[in-house]
Amino acid sequence: MDKIQLYNVVPEIFAHRENLDSDIWHKEFCFEQGRSYLIKAASGTGKSSLCSYLYGQRGDYRGNILFNDENIATFDIDRWCEIRQREISVLFQDLKLFGELTALENIEIKNNITHHKSIKDVESLFEELGIGDKIHSRIDRMSFGQQQRVAFIRALCQPCSFFLLDEPISHLDDKNSDTMRDILLRESKQLGAAIIATSIGKHMNIEYDLCLNL
Amino acid sequence: MPKSIILIWQLLRKHISIFELAIFFVANLIGMTVILSGVQLYSDIKPILMGDKSLIGSDYLVITHRVERVGLNSKSFSNEEIEALQQMECVKSVGGFVASQFEVDGSIMFNGRKLSTMLFFESVPDEFIDVEVDTWHFEEGDTTIPIILPRNYLNLYNFGFSNTQNLPQITEDMIKSVTLGLHISGGSRADNYNGYIVGFSDRINTILVPYSFISWANSHYANVESKAPTRLILEVSNPSEPMLTSHFKEHNYELENKPSESSKALFILKVCIAIIICIGVIFCALSLIILTLSIYLLLQKNVDKLENLMLIGYTPKRVAMPYKVMTLILNLSIFAISLLLIYIAEGYYMGYLSNIAGYTLSSSPTTAIVTGVIFTALVVAFNFYIINRKIKDISSKHD
Repeated sequence: MDKIQLYNVVPEIFAHRENLDSDIWHKEFCFEQGRSYLIKAASGTGKSSLCSYLYGQRGDYRGNILFNDENIATFDIDRWCEIRQREISVLFQDLKLFGELTALENIEIKNNITHHKSIKDVESLFEELGIGDKIHSRIDRMSFGQQQRVAFIRALCQPCSFFLLDEPISHLDDKNSDTMRDILLRESKQLGAAIIATSIGKHMNIEYDLCLNL
Repeated sequence: MPKSIILIWQLLRKHISIFELAIFFVANLIGMTVILSGVQLYSDIKPILMGDKSLIGSDYLVITHRVERVGLNSKSFSNEEIEALQQMECVKSVGGFVASQFEVDGSIMFNGRKLSTMLFFESVPDEFIDVEVDTWHFEEGDTTIPIILPRNYLNLYNFGFSNTQNLPQITEDMIKSVTLGLHISGGSRADNYNGYIVGFSDRINTILVPYSFISWANSHYANVESKAPTRLILEVSNPSEPMLTSHFKEHNYELENKPSESSKALFILKVCIAIIICIGVIFCALSLIILTLSIYLLLQKNVDKLENLMLIGYTPKRVAMPYKVMTLILNLSIFAISLLLIYIAEGYYMGYLSNIAGYTLSSSPTTAIVTGVIFTALVVAFNFYIINRKIKDISSKHD
């Protein structure tokens, strides 16, 4: 997959709102593989909605979203599962980790279906992100910042053409944020994947190809 | 793959209620055992009551025209009458009795004495005969003729004649080893044959020879085609069917054999078994409702996890797998335990039944196995359907 096209897309609840001042809503826009995008948004402008639409989690929008000219409204659950395994890797704002499993099990549950990373790769990612000692801790015993890094590692456990990161560093300090950026740039370069990151203020220190206001 | 199942299982098993599953397990086990023992018992008892001729119970009736005046030849059945009977819904098939049109002298050497008597033969098509013997056939040129006697002839001899005449009682096997000298004559021909009793019939009250013999001999000795039958044998699904009774009355037919005791017993047995099976089905239906609710509840409690799994790329098929494995294991163990119980029970009651029947009955829970396999497959398919549907519900929320 090399492009995500948006035609006149707007969340259902904004449909009747006039004078939407947005670079995306009600516009024609195309995310392309290999580039990086920062979507800046104030709360309540539909940032997480956009992510849910692109990830097939929700469909309450008007307009058309196309992946490689194919309307995503026609995709069934199996197609979405395929996309979620191979095309779009997502870091959810609410992480969607399993609290009763350990950090490593949370990674394995994803990696078991993609077989993308070796256990050694995973361990070194934990080390790099400064949570090497937490690898066997239960997720619900970890801080949100630590959980955010686990969810990030999980997002790396699959091939993809687009990284979709919903407020990826909201709970990270600058040092960890930079480490995450380094890893992200390394991985996206390897895969030739695009980066679409959202932010309500703090954002990763990347030279984005395009900054958009939602 | 197995590792990933273990991990999801670890994740999803959390809300499984052992209590609910235990209720399902016990209820379904009872239901399944009741149903399977019902069909097994039926298939075990049936051969004793009717000789396992056909799978669905049927009964045989012999009818004649009512004798109205002494001295007249009894009236035969016309083709139209036979056809009318054949067209009735409860009549499965109709066969005519064909009588011999030639003279038969039978003789037997017994205790040094030659007993001799005039005989007659009759025949019905083979499918109406309740005795199964390999030697039941005759071809032109054969010098031996197989014969089937009514069992009550033997009883008559053993319990009536032999007692009063100081003759020894005889067994079926003894009679089967005796050769009967038969002198058959008619027209200008006469020949000698050897007759062998090959079996005893409970159903047909006449001296039976193979159909092929009668039709050949009638044209050979009496130079006549076999006459229209004066007696008919009917295979019916239910001998006490009112339509049948009124038809007989209307046409002045007489029933020669009242429905036998064993057919009444068989009917009662069928009713009992049907009740047992109904109870089993009710149990199973209840247990299925419990399992269905339990699965729904379980999936509902895990709805967030299932959603999340599908959001990180798990297909509905994959998330359904642990639940399917669980129900499969449950149902297969129910089947296995149920079968074991029936096997043990059968071991007990077959000994008892063999005593009643007077011969050893082979016990094999084949009927129970076949029914159980079908039943388990249906239950598992139903469970899978429920799981698939619920997971589809969860997944389609996002489409």
